[in-house]
Amino acid sequence: MHTDTEPIISVRNLTQRYGKGRVIYSDLSFDVPKGRILGLLGKNGTGKTTTINILMGYLRPQSGECRIFGEPITEMQPATRARIALLIEGHVQYSFMTISQIEKFYSAFYPKWNRDAYYGLMEKMHVSPGQKISTMSCGQRSQVALGLILAQNADLLVLDDFSLGLDPGYRRLFVEYMRDYVKAEGKTVFMTSHIIQDLERLIDDCIILDYGRILTQQPVAELMKGYPQGTTLEDVFIELTGKY
Amino acid sequence: MIKAIINKEWYKTRLAFFVTLAVSLLFSAYAALRINRLIALKGVDHLWLIVLLKDNTFADMIQMLPLLTGLVLGVAQMAPEMSHKRLKLTMHLPVPQTKLLMLMLAVGVAEALVVFAGQAAVIGIYDLTVMPAPMVASIMLTTLPWFVAGFAAYLFACAICLEASWRRRVGLGLLAAAMLAMFYSQPALEAYNSFLPILLIATASLAILSAGSMIRFKEGLSE
Repeated sequence: MHTDTEPIISVRNLTQRYGKGRVIYSDLSFDVPKGRILGLLGKNGTGKTTTINILMGYLRPQSGECRIFGEPITEMQPATRARIALLIEGHVQYSFMTISQIEKFYSAFYPKWNRDAYYGLMEKMHVSPGQKISTMSCGQRSQVALGLILAQNADLLVLDDFSLGLDPGYRRLFVEYMRDYVKAEGKTVFMTSHIIQDLERLIDDCIILDYGRILTQQPVAELMKGYPQGTTLEDVFIELTGKY
Repeated sequence: MIKAIINKEWYKTRLAFFVTLAVSLLFSAYAALRINRLIALKGVDHLWLIVLLKDNTFADMIQMLPLLTGLVLGVAQMAPEMSHKRLKLTMHLPVPQTKLLMLMLAVGVAEALVVFAGQAAVIGIYDLTVMPAPMVASIMLTTLPWFVAGFAAYLFACAICLEASWRRRVGLGLLAAAMLAMFYSQPALEAYNSFLPILLIATASLAILSAGSMIRFKEGLSE
């Protein structure tokens, strides 16, 4: 039974390789306590999506243990999955559905579903309920995915590279909406991104990955203490990982 | 929840469903028209003789239609799940995953059943107007393996689409070709009667293949 003091996500000694080849990381351990926002940062190909896949049970790790709400991820029960909102890389959704069909579909699965949160966001986009998601732009699709996450009203949000394919305007909109929501509702977030500038005002803790190793793992405020005033998280990231 | 899943599957497959239904009905009607033409030219006695002596069901032109219907429905239903690995969304739904998959397959099987029933109804009802009931029953029993092949084709198509490893996809494709060929190897009237229960059990068990593909996807063997 998971208690309030226990971390929402607990990862111990996680080691993963690409097939039998390159080590993605070894002995990765971290906790995400309740109400915290952890950002897993790294360049493309450093294992961010792999970590999400492991946490969501789509990939068996080579070694290590992951628990979410105290439950081993390999044995995650449907009731536990209902407490997790998942954003897949590229804001993938059921694009063959319309705005209203997808809302109706998901509402059947989640007891705390907040219809108004979803339609509130859709109204801002000036899209009609009958519009098919496949006919929308990447930015609009990201808002649909965001609206569904907000409506699900989950305890844990897992967001895989939300910035992928979005222009700066939509990225900013996404971050602002997400920040207000998670802080107001006390949600726990585990997110990945390769665009650091968006995350500076959003995340509490960060893990910066490089190819085959973990560069740093600490609260953002603590990390920034070691740098002169005016330094951004992006500057720190570039210094740690080297230029692109 | 069940209604939501049925709706989701319907949104994906409704176009394929209506197209396969329309094509099946049109071809079945054309098969009936051929019989009608033969009767007009040579009389109904001649038709009965051909059916009895030459094992001709006059439905041969539609024998591959159920198989194609199964393939089209399976691809229409499962290809969107694999596109952009959308299956992750489906597997994240708070429903036991085996139940979820079986529900998805049940929707496809139900749609195929409607298409096949429509096709069989056109043939059966027309044949009853020109042939005695035992002869029609014999024709329907002869066509039954083709419909079972349609269900098998559907289940194979689902398993192949859900399978992320290309090597396994080829293996499943070869297995499908070998098994589906069995449904078309005996042209005689009612040749499959004694073998049909075994074919039905074998076809039903093909649902396990999709479950296997889904488990491998979940364990990251597709990554």
